[in-house]
Amino acid sequence: MNLLAEAVGFGLVTAAVIALAAVGLSLQVSVTNFVNFAYGDFMTFGAYITYSANVAGLNFFPAVLVGAAGTGLLGVVSNWVIFRPLVKRKSRTLVLLICTVGLSFIVQNAMVLIWGTNSDRYTVSIGNALHIGPFLFTPGDLILIAVAFGLLALLHIFLQYTRFGTALRATSNNSDLAQACGIDTGRVITWTWAISGLFCAVAGVGLALETNTLRPALGFNELFVIFGAIILGGIGRVYGAMLGALIIGILTEVSGMFADPAYKGAIAFAVVVLVLLIRPQGLLPSRGRSA
Amino acid sequence: MLFFVLDLLTLGAINAIMAVGLNLQYGQAGILNFTYYTFIAIGAYIAAVTTLGKPTLTGGVEQYVLQWRLPWPLALLLAGAVAGVLGLVVVLIVIRRLRSDYLAIVTVSIGFIIWNVITNYIPLFNGSNGLFAVPYILNGATVTPIEYTLEVLVVSVVVLAACLWVARSIFRSPYGRVLRAIREDDVVAASFGKSTTGSRVWVFVIGCIMAGLAGAMLVFYISAWNPAGFLPQESFILMAAIVIGGPGNYWGAVLGTFIFIELLSEIERFLPNVGNGAAVGAGRAILIGILLIAVVRFRPDGLIPERWLRWYKTKGPLPSGPASGDPPHLVTGRRGPHRLWGWALSRGKS
Amino acid sequence: MLEIEDVEFAYGGSVAVAGCTFSVEQGQVTGLIGPNGAGKSTLLEIIAGGLIPSRGKLVFDGVEIQGVGRAKVAQLGIIRTFQTTRELSRLPVLENVVFAAPNQTGENVLASLFRRRSWAAQEAQLRVRAEELLEWVGLTRLREEPAGSLSGGQRRLLEIARALMAEPKLLLLDEPSAGVFPAVRQLIARRIREIVAQGITVLVVAHNMAFLAEVADDVVVMAEGRVLRRGPLEEVRADQAVVAAYLGGGHVGGTS
Repeated sequence: MNLLAEAVGFGLVTAAVIALAAVGLSLQVSVTNFVNFAYGDFMTFGAYITYSANVAGLNFFPAVLVGAAGTGLLGVVSNWVIFRPLVKRKSRTLVLLICTVGLSFIVQNAMVLIWGTNSDRYTVSIGNALHIGPFLFTPGDLILIAVAFGLLALLHIFLQYTRFGTALRATSNNSDLAQACGIDTGRVITWTWAISGLFCAVAGVGLALETNTLRPALGFNELFVIFGAIILGGIGRVYGAMLGALIIGILTEVSGMFADPAYKGAIAFAVVVLVLLIRPQGLLPSRGRSA
Repeated sequence: MLFFVLDLLTLGAINAIMAVGLNLQYGQAGILNFTYYTFIAIGAYIAAVTTLGKPTLTGGVEQYVLQWRLPWPLALLLAGAVAGVLGLVVVLIVIRRLRSDYLAIVTVSIGFIIWNVITNYIPLFNGSNGLFAVPYILNGATVTPIEYTLEVLVVSVVVLAACLWVARSIFRSPYGRVLRAIREDDVVAASFGKSTTGSRVWVFVIGCIMAGLAGAMLVFYISAWNPAGFLPQESFILMAAIVIGGPGNYWGAVLGTFIFIELLSEIERFLPNVGNGAAVGAGRAILIGILLIAVVRFRPDGLIPERWLRWYKTKGPLPSGPASGDPPHLVTGRRGPHRLWGWALSRGKS
Repeated sequence: MLEIEDVEFAYGGSVAVAGCTFSVEQGQVTGLIGPNGAGKSTLLEIIAGGLIPSRGKLVFDGVEIQGVGRAKVAQLGIIRTFQTTRELSRLPVLENVVFAAPNQTGENVLASLFRRRSWAAQEAQLRVRAEELLEWVGLTRLREEPAGSLSGGQRRLLEIARALMAEPKLLLLDEPSAGVFPAVRQLIARRIREIVAQGITVLVVAHNMAFLAEVADDVVVMAEGRVLRRGPLEEVRADQAVVAAYLGGGHVGGTS
């Protein structure tokens, strides 16, 4: 049983990182209606900016803030330059998707040019593992879980209890209607990219810390795990993404107990495929109606 | 020099087979398959393990399945068939939700998983070391490299011609028209009684078969294959290439692949080694990314658009007056009970 | 021809269609009118198979059609046009029309690859018929143009030609005259009468009273999801309950 508890513990940490990433992506998808395939690269970008800020002399946490700001900026600029003109022309989702692929090429390879392909490391380490109850955590793990929890809670409060959060939810539900009600959807979209970038960057830093590597393809390789979480929760549903992340995180680690750990990702995704076959709209109760 | 040109043409032909397959799936049917390269890889692996026979003990121990020694034409067909079956499995998984972003996500993820499994499960295809010393086709073992290149070129061109014939036949048929309609607006297509899922399953499978054939030809040519050859990014690059070239037009797809997959890779060889070793490859990818966004923005149908493929002639000179008076017969009796396969033609007056 | 029995549809918290019951008679044009939010478009969508009602039945020619889906409904002979035109914008006008024909033998993989002869003759016939339809609505000159480049009125005519290509038994027209010039509106009205003269039943949702006066034999008024009144247009327009439903005073309808 100890091993199971430990696995669940690891699962929580994994879930924390995935949740941050998946929520950021879900938020963006729910408002803009297309999936950003460069998201993994945005995560890596956030991690690298943090790294450079850290190396340049900032302490770690301020460096993370810089990373978050940088990624948010990247998202906002991408939207301004690339996506907004296309949305204005009523381009199809397919077209916007292809654009995000192009963006992925640019961002990922720009990072190769700037930082090189060697693996970098943060100067901060996550510390040594301690036994806390039945679980096995490092201080870094705990901080990560706490940060994830805190950010998600803040997001929840923001979405449900502030005016801007309500505007955001309205836009994601029906942007034409929201606009007709006087909501400045352009501003909502811009801020959504910024917030999504924030979550994305923190997730990227968390990922780099947990895997103890920092390479240009870091975030890209995690894409399918994040997608798995989103599929489980339903595309575009923020709370679903949290649930999906939790399930995938724990499933991944627990399955490592029974099978070769190299296949953790494959097993977790097999579960996602199963859900796809049985309930394609995701695990949360649906709110739509069509035939 | 001759070798270089022949090499270019051979790889060009093989890449063109891939392009035609992807043109069918994405260009004609609008299905976003972001893991096309996985099917190419499966084709390559199947072709390899059905011709390699037992592993030799020299040069380390290889592990892989099947270990058959079939004649290469059979291996080629098997490669296409297995890729097609895998394609059928994939499409059946996503069949209940064929919307584009959903498909994109799921196909990418399936690609990652398969890559993951192949790399880690060594008994399958020898993991990350991959397979090598795949036997030559025809009489390749006894001829010079240039002659072998020529032989592979000829076979590839034959396969390419067959694939082009398939793509063209589909395009110029009512089936192709249904695919285009579903691609443009699936609600409208359904509102006129067309079966949206059924039509698309087959075109997806055919596209995957072509991927398998291309993979087999590739492994026959370069005699080796390993996971580094089909990283998920490769599928994205292939997709980008045909989007720029003109996805809806199979010639556009071929052109796109030729320029971006092949030409740019070859040019890389001649450029000086700038910065760190990966800089040139990175530069190429950035260029493709920028071009992709630019094409999508300013010339969305690609360099060679679909509308250049006009396939029917319309009757007579165009009248220029206002709408003529008499209405045509609107009920010709052609509608009858709807037949699933439509073999019978109900006769009507017109 | 089409019986709608006690159909109900709710979306989220609101009920769009509630206990709606009426029938569409064969061989005439039935108008469907009502103030905004009355549920007309929702009902049309339900008939066309795009939505599944939470309660009730729809019987077409003796067959129950609720929940069977768009494709099956179309195969049974119910063809629709859309409130905002949904033409296949990148495809040529002619293709837009030919594609709509039912029972095309060439529409499967094997036929496209190996049995060209089985559908070549049919294809030629279909093209001739499509060209006739285009001529009838006055779009012959534009047959090679991508459908998206047409004007609003031309697109409405295209949708009608396309719908007719499908040889409907029941034609559902969703605001076919909205946003077009009066001259085109009259052309559309004339064409609809010609369609009915050949035995096709029409159900048309419209707001423009002048248009309805030219076109409809009988009118059903919906308000708040149910049927309010039914009868010839003149009677219905003067009915107090109908007037109240629209504006709470003043006469019904206008010339928009």
